Amino acid sequence: MEQETGMRALAQRLGRRVVIIAALTVAAIIPLVVHNPYAIHIGILIFLYGYLATAWGLVGQSGQLSFGHAAFLGLGAYTSTILFNQAGVTPWLGMLAGGGIAMAAGAGIGYPTLRLRGVYFALATLAFAYSLQIFVRTTNWLGPIRIGAGPGLHVLLVNGGNAPSLFQFPSKEPYYYIALGMVAGIVALSYYLNRTRIGYYWAAIRGDPDAAESLGISVARYRIRAFLLSCFLTGLGGTFYAQYFLALDPRRVLGVSLSIEIALVGIVGGWQSVFGPLLGSLVLIPIGQLTRAQLGSSLPGLHLLIYGVILMLFIQFLPQGLNSPVMRGLRWAEAKVWRPREYSTYERGGK
Amino acid sequence: MRGEGNRVALLEVSKVTKRFGGLVAVHQLDMTVNNGQILGLIGPNGAGKTTLFNLIAGYYKPDEGQVVFQGKDITGLKPYDVCRLGLARTFQTTKPFMESSLIDNVVIGALMQDHNVANAKKIALNIVDMLGFGEIAYAPGHELTVPDRKRLEVARALATGAKLLLLDEPMAGLTPTEKAHTVALLRRINEQGTTLVVVEHDMKAVMTLCPHIVLLDRGEKLVEGTPQEVTSDPRAIAAYLGEEYVAT
Repeated sequence: MEQETGMRALAQRLGRRVVIIAALTVAAIIPLVVHNPYAIHIGILIFLYGYLATAWGLVGQSGQLSFGHAAFLGLGAYTSTILFNQAGVTPWLGMLAGGGIAMAAGAGIGYPTLRLRGVYFALATLAFAYSLQIFVRTTNWLGPIRIGAGPGLHVLLVNGGNAPSLFQFPSKEPYYYIALGMVAGIVALSYYLNRTRIGYYWAAIRGDPDAAESLGISVARYRIRAFLLSCFLTGLGGTFYAQYFLALDPRRVLGVSLSIEIALVGIVGGWQSVFGPLLGSLVLIPIGQLTRAQLGSSLPGLHLLIYGVILMLFIQFLPQGLNSPVMRGLRWAEAKVWRPREYSTYERGGK
Repeated sequence: MRGEGNRVALLEVSKVTKRFGGLVAVHQLDMTVNNGQILGLIGPNGAGKTTLFNLIAGYYKPDEGQVVFQGKDITGLKPYDVCRLGLARTFQTTKPFMESSLIDNVVIGALMQDHNVANAKKIALNIVDMLGFGEIAYAPGHELTVPDRKRLEVARALATGAKLLLLDEPMAGLTPTEKAHTVALLRRINEQGTTLVVVEHDMKAVMTLCPHIVLLDRGEKLVEGTPQEVTSDPRAIAAYLGEEYVAT
């Protein structure tokens, strides 16, 4: 019996690994065969939003919703850009500083509000992002620091944008591989955390906070940990954003719409799951880009309407997000393809 | 009789009062739970049994009085800190973690004892075996039936390694056979060294399980003693038990 469950677990893990290895291989090969910059750009956006939504989803895993994640992305983007433009610090290091600043801001919001039950945290994140945007848009200089006010900032170009040690590349491919590495890393981190104590505790907290506390789990503490980690990682994503677009427009990088887009990708994919946010990005980003490209000039704003309709359909028909049917399908395929004879026991024993 | 304990106080509740607005839910209550005991807590609906659990386990802060556990003042501590000190409670309305499997529910409790997931799984498997869950151990929380959920509450609290369990109606909604199983199970848990306080309405179950009973009425302790003493007390009969117990 012990042996059999062991074999089953092995088959299950191998099965999943095959899918992951195949996906990574395809993603790594695409730039070698596809030379259309627009296609590579969409790939980069998929990874970037997959990364941001996964970072955002860590908060969801602890049972809370953030509607202000653009603030943490913006803090990361502005920090590394200001450090580079004014002090010559390479964004590779500025990235860590940006993550740190985002995390510090997260501590300021999280410590008072994550102790409370209810919507206070979600409201605080929204309010923080909004006031940060207003502050940045109206402040050109903060002491010796140039923030750029409404027009925003540009990352100073070095050597025509060909300076790998300064996180500047002349073509899209390097950005593509960096973004792929970042999204693979963050999904792996989320997957790993779910298998350790903190992941079990997050499951308990989103299951029932009162019951979690009865089992020795400090709900506030584990929510704060999730939030601080999420802020730090989102700050790192902000630096990538700055280096890829090379321009920071506060209405965009600190905008409510960006916060909502990140949340939307996460919710459509499955906001409390490991792979969901990436799945959401895989589906929503191409739809968003294509509708914008097709309809953007003739009917501006229509792509947002389509987004809204998609969101409503998901909330109505698939509140758990894309993750749950996809995982069910994978598990079924795994059982059929890899271990056909154990299908029936598999169904019963599966998590 | 089993479950009598050794007369060393594990939990001491003294002069505890809790008010909700104008309503006094618990009033100047004293209660001692001895190490190794199975104490039955009975009383009509609204007598303050669950409020008392909430006061002991840290869900409410008493307005007056003191709760001492293992010689340490735990008055006003948070539920998770109370649990870390070795006092766990279950809920009358069961609260399984719906998306986690039954075994993972127990693992979450066991992570209190051992922070390593693999080790916590071993602890959880032992408890799941002892409670006889069998095949359903891998079913997700939302598929569990009421009796399974009731047992899961106990399993999870037990997995924390607590010395004292506060069980809030672990037998409500069970059939007589299931109740008998639960009585046997709670005895076994007690014999392995865990002290129990059990809130229960089924007097037959309480009288078989608990050598010591406290009867609450309107937030105050009305009667305390052995099942015989409590059931023959006229005040207990008037407030809760009813005439059917007069003869015995």
